[in-house]
Amino acid sequence: MNSFFEALAVNQLLFFATLAGLAASVVGGIMGSYVVVKRISFISGSISHSLLAGIGFFLWLERAQNISWASPLAGALIASIISALLIGWIHMSYRQREDSVIAAVWSIGMAIGLLFMSQTPGFTVELANFLVGNILWVTPHDLAVLAILDLLVLGAVLLLHERLLAISFDEDQARLQGVQVHRLYLFLLTLIAVTVVLLMQVVGIVLVMTMLTLPATIANLFTKQLSKMMFLAVLLSALFSLLGTFTAFHLDLPVGATIALIAGIGYILALTVKKKSFKFP
Amino acid sequence: MTTKKIAISMKGVYFGYTNTERVIENASITVHEGEFIGIIGPNGGGKTTLLKLLMGFLEPTKGSISIFGKSPKSYPNGIAYVPQNLRFDKLFPITVMELVLGGRLATLPWWGLFSKSDREKAEEALDKVKLSEFAHKPFGELSGGQAQRALIARSLASEPRILLLDEPTANVDVQAEAAIHELLLELRKHLTILMVTHDIRAVIRQVERVLCVQGQIDAVSPGELCEHFALGLYHFPLIQTPETHLKSNLGGGR
Repeated sequence: MNSFFEALAVNQLLFFATLAGLAASVVGGIMGSYVVVKRISFISGSISHSLLAGIGFFLWLERAQNISWASPLAGALIASIISALLIGWIHMSYRQREDSVIAAVWSIGMAIGLLFMSQTPGFTVELANFLVGNILWVTPHDLAVLAILDLLVLGAVLLLHERLLAISFDEDQARLQGVQVHRLYLFLLTLIAVTVVLLMQVVGIVLVMTMLTLPATIANLFTKQLSKMMFLAVLLSALFSLLGTFTAFHLDLPVGATIALIAGIGYILALTVKKKSFKFP
Repeated sequence: MTTKKIAISMKGVYFGYTNTERVIENASITVHEGEFIGIIGPNGGGKTTLLKLLMGFLEPTKGSISIFGKSPKSYPNGIAYVPQNLRFDKLFPITVMELVLGGRLATLPWWGLFSKSDREKAEEALDKVKLSEFAHKPFGELSGGQAQRALIARSLASEPRILLLDEPTANVDVQAEAAIHELLLELRKHLTILMVTHDIRAVIRQVERVLCVQGQIDAVSPGELCEHFALGLYHFPLIQTPETHLKSNLGGGR
């Protein structure tokens, strides 16, 4: 353990990676709780995978077309927000065929991303990094962007929590009370899209769903109030992130996959503990 | 003699989910303030659609609806809705107080914190349904009857003029059913109530008028409903059409 903290002090990459993991844990735990209680894991999965289109396109602009401002992070953010709004519109307009259409957005997004990446020099390494994550790629600039996104999501949730709780539990009641349910739902998906980009930095596109849903699902086993569930989910997410980074550092494993696996083990342990009826105060 | 205000007015309302189907057909009803109305009809007959039209969630394809002279879409429209408690996820992490505060969303300020007055209104509503001691309990841990009363408390917290209830006594035990009926008798003193139910006994005992919904909407008195029963016209068909009349004579029902 000591060598990990010593390495943190001297290794800037590891230090930034740990900070990114903790920053992502805060929003991941909070927004993941909405995803779990509103049962929109599939929608979130579609957002997280279709953002590859933005990464691929911006990477192609940056590397093949020499457009310097087109960073993969900006591409991911734009694509995830567009796909969130598109999926939200599909959810509200085509409920009967919703799952098929969302699956189409999921795969079309990935296909666009892969096609652009195939036209970009050195795409194989980049693709692996984006899909399974490489937290050590986080730059100080990325970290600053992540911190700003973190604060934006937190601020929005603080102001809108009661309304988001209402639309998560009973949309009809919220609508009767004059809440703009559709607009708020689209906004919730946009916040999830931003969260997905934050988590992508840590665990990669393929494993985002693990970090978005598992800490919140575990927290839901032990809490009966959404605010407490969020608090516990943030703690669990941070714990998994730290343990994962520590383990990966010592065993020379991929950080994202290690974090996701530890979260999975945590879930199995939680189900076992739950049998003993432990409750979070 | 004082004339009671018109609470709900539907004139020549048609509605269908597609261009070809008609779920509600040429419905015209008037409900006065303070009336207690029962809504009955077969499954798929349009009861839920009627409630959604009244709440402004659906728009008639033809005809007009007004709630105290205003469009149902002008929120808050004075309507509160009590759904069936079975609809909700028992694992959803929400306390009874949080649930009831959901009835105060219309007054929630932009910064998203309920005022002291909102909390007091929620506490009063819980007191009215005799659930004060459950305020901080998880909603998912309430019994069926308690959960239904908590949902009624949420609707009361919004200080409505019209209360719509969707089968409030479905899936509750006899004691809970009696408690809910007692509560409704108390509420009818100062609210207009429309209650969807399959409990014909409750309809005959409690309500002033019955709306029979099966595409068309016919209003009958509880006495007339008894006559329907005497003629063996319930459950199917409640409202006579050439087709359903034939089925009932053949012993068909659902």
